Amino acid sequence: MTIARHSSATDAGRLAGLEEPESSLRDRSRPSRRGRIGGALDRARRRIYLPLLLPALIVYVVLFIVPALYGMALSFSSWAGLGTTFRWVGLKNYTGLFSSPVFLSSFWNTLVLTAVVGIAIFLIACGAMIVLRTTKGHSFIRSAVFVPFIISPIAIGLSVSFLFNPNGLINTVLGLLGLDGLQRPWLAADNILQVIMVGLTWSAAGFYVVLLMSAVDGIPASFYESAQIEGANLLQQFRHITLPLTRDMISVAAVLWVIAGIKTFEIIIAFTGTAGTPPLQARSLAVEQYLRVTGGPAGGIPQMGSAAAIGVIMTIITVVLILLSRRISRREPLEM
Amino acid sequence: MDVLQKVGRPSLSSALSTFVTFVLKVSLWGWVAINLAMLVWIFFNSVKSSRDIFANPAGPPTTWEWGNFWTALTTSGLGVAAINTVVLVVVSVAVIMLLSVPAAYALARLGGRSAGPIVSLFSAGMSVPFQAFAVPMVLISVGLSRFMIEWVTGAWDPRITVAIFYVALSLPFSVFVLVGYFRSLPSELEEASALDGAGAFRTFRTVMVPLAKSGITTVTVLNVLGLWNETMIVLLLVPNQGMQTLNVALLNFYSDMQYTSDWGGLFAGVVIVVAPMVLLYFWVGRRVVSGMTEGIGK
Repeated sequence: MTIARHSSATDAGRLAGLEEPESSLRDRSRPSRRGRIGGALDRARRRIYLPLLLPALIVYVVLFIVPALYGMALSFSSWAGLGTTFRWVGLKNYTGLFSSPVFLSSFWNTLVLTAVVGIAIFLIACGAMIVLRTTKGHSFIRSAVFVPFIISPIAIGLSVSFLFNPNGLINTVLGLLGLDGLQRPWLAADNILQVIMVGLTWSAAGFYVVLLMSAVDGIPASFYESAQIEGANLLQQFRHITLPLTRDMISVAAVLWVIAGIKTFEIIIAFTGTAGTPPLQARSLAVEQYLRVTGGPAGGIPQMGSAAAIGVIMTIITVVLILLSRRISRREPLEM
Repeated sequence: MDVLQKVGRPSLSSALSTFVTFVLKVSLWGWVAINLAMLVWIFFNSVKSSRDIFANPAGPPTTWEWGNFWTALTTSGLGVAAINTVVLVVVSVAVIMLLSVPAAYALARLGGRSAGPIVSLFSAGMSVPFQAFAVPMVLISVGLSRFMIEWVTGAWDPRITVAIFYVALSLPFSVFVLVGYFRSLPSELEEASALDGAGAFRTFRTVMVPLAKSGITTVTVLNVLGLWNETMIVLLLVPNQGMQTLNVALLNFYSDMQYTSDWGGLFAGVVIVVAPMVLLYFWVGRRVVSGMTEGIGK
């Protein structure tokens, strides 16, 4: 879901353990406690605490937490929706999924897609972190590479798939360059996932570059100046200054990418349209779940139970991968 | 680089570094060029005839077919979808902000012992992927609409259910970020206002909300962006094409391509979906991006 593309941002800050300064901040914001007028002020403030908080909290509990738990419960059932027979089936949905080749291939595709695009984005971001600081027009570059991130993934998917269609611009240009050997039926079932990964990298990389560059901006310029005086070139500066000092933000970015990558959906759907079914080779977990919830374009029977189980599995993968990226980034505590 | 030469270490590694740096800079500008070319290419396609799109895939249009936008808006239903999208986004984001700003203020500045755990409860929601809600959402939507039709209003619009879930799913992020902003504000003005005799609620409304304006703008814009591009909830909950939003209408338009082959119209649709957000980005984008990265770093 796109909402969470942004929404997960700050969460990752928390998840990556960047929240430590918070308690000291909180203390600083409330010196009134100890002040002369503290008592009366606190009472007045405490009176409006619940009226301000409760509307949001009630909506959150009733429409977020309860549905999430409901979904978890449904993953242990077999159901095709309201008006059909409902049955508890225990773990059968889960065992069924892990013995289904269709599910396993979407599971594998999702992991491959998240890993490959993640590595590609990381390499691109490293390249940007090496040179962008000292490149002329760097703020213009940042704005320009960020643009694909704000474009609807559906529009990205449509445009990129059109570029790669058999008579599309990519094949035409390859033909004009005399590289006919490189022409491919890019959108054929066996190639489509690779094209989708290219499109996804293109659309997402700018966000991570901007994010990591904001961490680079926080590094005192004097560090780079003294490194330069000592004769360190840009690669060495990256290796010994930028990389260690942006480690926290890199781990935040990794967490963010994991959260976003696992639920890749729109861009894949946009490659095939609502009428078609994405080929097995290109299905992600989110697409597979969507097909099970709706029963697929052919109007099959919805499989609510197993679809709910996919939702639970995706939550578990997300949490595991978040913990993993935290572990990796915390390997070497850094001292300044 | 000139410093390097002065120090005089003409080693292999410095030559390599110069080369790598050069390649990286060229690739960065290449990336920028690709992004701009992509925007121009989409725009050109939106004003080409479908025949022109295939005969002349890269150049400017041979004839400018502004009518594509008219077909996209009327025949292909993007006009109705645009109205649906604007209403849904405006209403949902308004409700999100009305709920999350007071709650974030309460949690950041007024809370006693319960504030910490409640903030954690909200932020935990951010690591739950949307897919955990897909199934319950569909069932609740069907159930709610039957309940309302049979017992309460006699009618129901699935777009209301969509707005309800837009609000619920955006709350964790909005509350969490705004709590961070309110926490970072100085408390002196709050105390001065209280000493002047302003009530606690008035202090919140007239002193603290204006102080948190930049944070509130950032969260508002990010919610607008996220909900404008949202597709899956509408796809799952709204079967009626006349009630769907721009992204879903664009998908339907694309699915009809095999019958209509109106590629010019399709790209006009892409422009209609993309242009408002690109304009929004150029208008407030820089501020929001820096606000967002600051929020993450803190």
